[in-house]
Amino acid sequence: MNNFFEVQNVDFAVGGKAKVRNVSFSIKNEGDIVCLLGPSGIGKTTILRTIAGLEKLNKGKIELKGKILSSEKINVEPEHRNISLAFQENSLFPHYSVKKNISLGSERNEGKKNQKIKYDDLIDLLDISQVLDKFPHQISAGEAQRVSLARSLVTQPDLLLLDEPLSNVDQSFKEEIQEKLKKILNDSKITTIIVTHDSYEAFYLGSKCGIILDQKLKQYDDPYNVYHLPNSIEVVNFLNRGTLIPAEVTSPKSLENKDLGTITGNFVKPFPIGSKVKLLIQPEDLHHDDSSNLKLDVVDRKFRGTNFIYTLKTPNNSLIPVFVHSHHIHQHEINEKFGVKRPIHIDHIVCF
Amino acid sequence: MKFNSWYLSSFLISLIVLIPIITVFLSFFENTSNYYQILKDTFLLEYILSSGILLIAVLILTFILGVGAAYLVSFYKFPGSNFFKWALILSFAVPPYIFAYSLTAFFENYGTAFTILKNLFGDGNYNKNIPKFDGMIGAILSISFSLYAYVYILARASFLYQSQNLIDLGKNLGFSKFKSFYKVILPAARPAIVAGLSLVAMETLAEFGAVDFFSINTLTTGIYNSWIYFDDLAFANRISFFLLLFIFTLFILENLSRRKAKYHFNSRAGFKQKEKIKLLGNKSFLAFIFCFFIFFISFLFPLSQMLYWTIKFPENLFDLNIINLFINTIYLVTLSSLILLIFSLISNYGNRIANNKILNFLSTFSISGYAIPGVILAIAFITFIAWFDDNIIKSFGFGSIKKIFIGSILGLVLVYFIRFYSLAFNGIKSGYEKMNISVDESAYLLGYSKRKTFLNIHIPFLRNSLLFIIILISLEIIRELPITLILRPFNFETFATTAYISASEDLLEAAAVPSLFLILIASLFIIVTSKYILRENE
Repeated sequence: MNNFFEVQNVDFAVGGKAKVRNVSFSIKNEGDIVCLLGPSGIGKTTILRTIAGLEKLNKGKIELKGKILSSEKINVEPEHRNISLAFQENSLFPHYSVKKNISLGSERNEGKKNQKIKYDDLIDLLDISQVLDKFPHQISAGEAQRVSLARSLVTQPDLLLLDEPLSNVDQSFKEEIQEKLKKILNDSKITTIIVTHDSYEAFYLGSKCGIILDQKLKQYDDPYNVYHLPNSIEVVNFLNRGTLIPAEVTSPKSLENKDLGTITGNFVKPFPIGSKVKLLIQPEDLHHDDSSNLKLDVVDRKFRGTNFIYTLKTPNNSLIPVFVHSHHIHQHEINEKFGVKRPIHIDHIVCF
Repeated sequence: MKFNSWYLSSFLISLIVLIPIITVFLSFFENTSNYYQILKDTFLLEYILSSGILLIAVLILTFILGVGAAYLVSFYKFPGSNFFKWALILSFAVPPYIFAYSLTAFFENYGTAFTILKNLFGDGNYNKNIPKFDGMIGAILSISFSLYAYVYILARASFLYQSQNLIDLGKNLGFSKFKSFYKVILPAARPAIVAGLSLVAMETLAEFGAVDFFSINTLTTGIYNSWIYFDDLAFANRISFFLLLFIFTLFILENLSRRKAKYHFNSRAGFKQKEKIKLLGNKSFLAFIFCFFIFFISFLFPLSQMLYWTIKFPENLFDLNIINLFINTIYLVTLSSLILLIFSLISNYGNRIANNKILNFLSTFSISGYAIPGVILAIAFITFIAWFDDNIIKSFGFGSIKKIFIGSILGLVLVYFIRFYSLAFNGIKSGYEKMNISVDESAYLLGYSKRKTFLNIHIPFLRNSLLFIIILISLEIIRELPITLILRPFNFETFATTAYISASEDLLEAAAVPSLFLILIASLFIIVTSKYILRENE
């Protein structure tokens, strides 16, 4: 069966200058949500703009519902793609009220029998009923972003593109909006590509995540795999959720590190015995144990509400993050010793 | 890049506007009659010298009047300060040539001043004691009092957006009021003041009516005379070339300054509204006198003089077909505004969607029409039509097209178009600059075509800008003299040309009626748009 949406070997470029090269990925089913993650300025927005038809394509092919939208020879104009893009910055029509802005979006669906999204539900879900009669310059950046989102959603596009949709939304309100957004997208079965630099947002919203680094799509996989089974050191560094320490493979199910000793578990990718590797240690891999004889120095402690992330320094100067629930009574101060439970067992061992 | 119809239209419009500039440039390399040599040895130096003296004197005077008035109304409260804020721009309604007529009418032998003295003190030989403001001094005063508002408006806008923080900074550094003015306030407004002075300079060099009335031989009158009296188009074009070089230098300077000035106007980050200082006693009186003097001389004086003569010689009111003059003026204004708006909109939109470097350059260059004196444009236009007729039209065996373009409404409106294109183009451009390009893209993504985006999104957004541009263009066309004079059809007169013809025949009393109507109509336009002109809507 054909994929619902497909990008094949595309160079995404602005003004003839390629920003992301040779990208291929697909969305299998209608209604799937894909998140693209990457640092600022890497070309994530360019990818969305090209898919929307706002940037031309010189190499590769983009297909939606089996129809070519962009290729070296074909270019369907943006207004004929039925793709909606909610820009990161305020792109509301400045001279029209919020209500009018949204209603312009719904013009496209006039006469459509199958209305997937109801206007009132949308206003309610995105909590913008109080700003409907205001003009774009009278509302906050976060409200403008939600209005822009509403305008894009009411068009009921074949493909919805969201560029950092919640970057201006207050932190306190963000999770609530994320939940509502996911519900709307799932209920309406609108296929969506979301660009974000917030990995938590991507992992929550996306059924697939793409990591863009160094002008390439480095990894395109389920959020779980992207986090637990990163396929390159660059992805590990980008996600910034672990550290790489030197180790030697001692058996098909174990390694040896000078500071931590023996570590057992299942290798994601097999390595010959005796190989010198870099082992990924994520905060959840090690556990706290005051009675352990493996003591490391605390060099930093981050309080995250539900948990602490301790940064421990080994005798060989490796810095290792360790997750501890915040209700744990025994808190460790900086420069104190921190016990690490032995033996160390990691379910899936990721090495490079 | 896709060569769509928007791009092509924009390209063609820019090219049409550029024709006179290219004509002047090319004609510099043509031969001229022997008269050129004679003029070169005799009058050319005088033309340059007179233009130079006029320019420097007008710049100094407009700086003092414009910056002085702007400073007082922006930073201080005194009796009438709110009234003067907008009243000081009414001088725009009085073109330099009407100011010149008033100045002469008031101070001439047995003029209005004489009548006043006679009525007050009885018969006497007052003429020798009444100063005469004619010749160069008359021209300097007429142009300065008519044009200082350019400096006033831009300086005031800059002062207006100077944050209280900036002034507090001066105080914090221990500056006195005077030191704050020249160390903090003036440098911050410098780009705006330079922009205003550049506009004054361009208008001064282009000024025809007042300098012609006072018989000053400047480059502009030289161009007109060499065409009218010596029938030497090539020489007229050669003087134009020199004048253009000079004006282009000013144009570039103005453009550079304006770019910086824009920064000052838009910078709102950390903006703190200024609190005006209330002046008391002598200081308050002096501030009032300074502003009232400028307002009186620049507006009330010429208005009263023209009104006085209209009442004194009512027969002139009935001799003129006022309704006809009004219809002619409105006809020209409506037709020109409409054409200018439509083409400037198309050109701007073409530029916006094509985002092409060549087109951007061409557009920037083509808007220089405003910097070129009307006299040059009119003569360059005639030169081009004559060349086109002789070399292209006739070679195809068609009849002459000269009559279609020269001495016709079509030709007149076409040259107005070239002259005022920059006003319309820049006005719309600055409107567009307030609209992010992602707004267009959003419209496309909502299924709007380019045409529908233009009509349903852009036009409603630009509505206020368009209204303002119509009024600005109207104001310019009502006051415009040399182009109308050279290119108007036979027996087709406006208020401006009627006033000029009467004045050039030494019938100043007869010039009063059309001048009065011109001032009144122009004032009305200014009052309606004063908020926009003063940038208080931004």
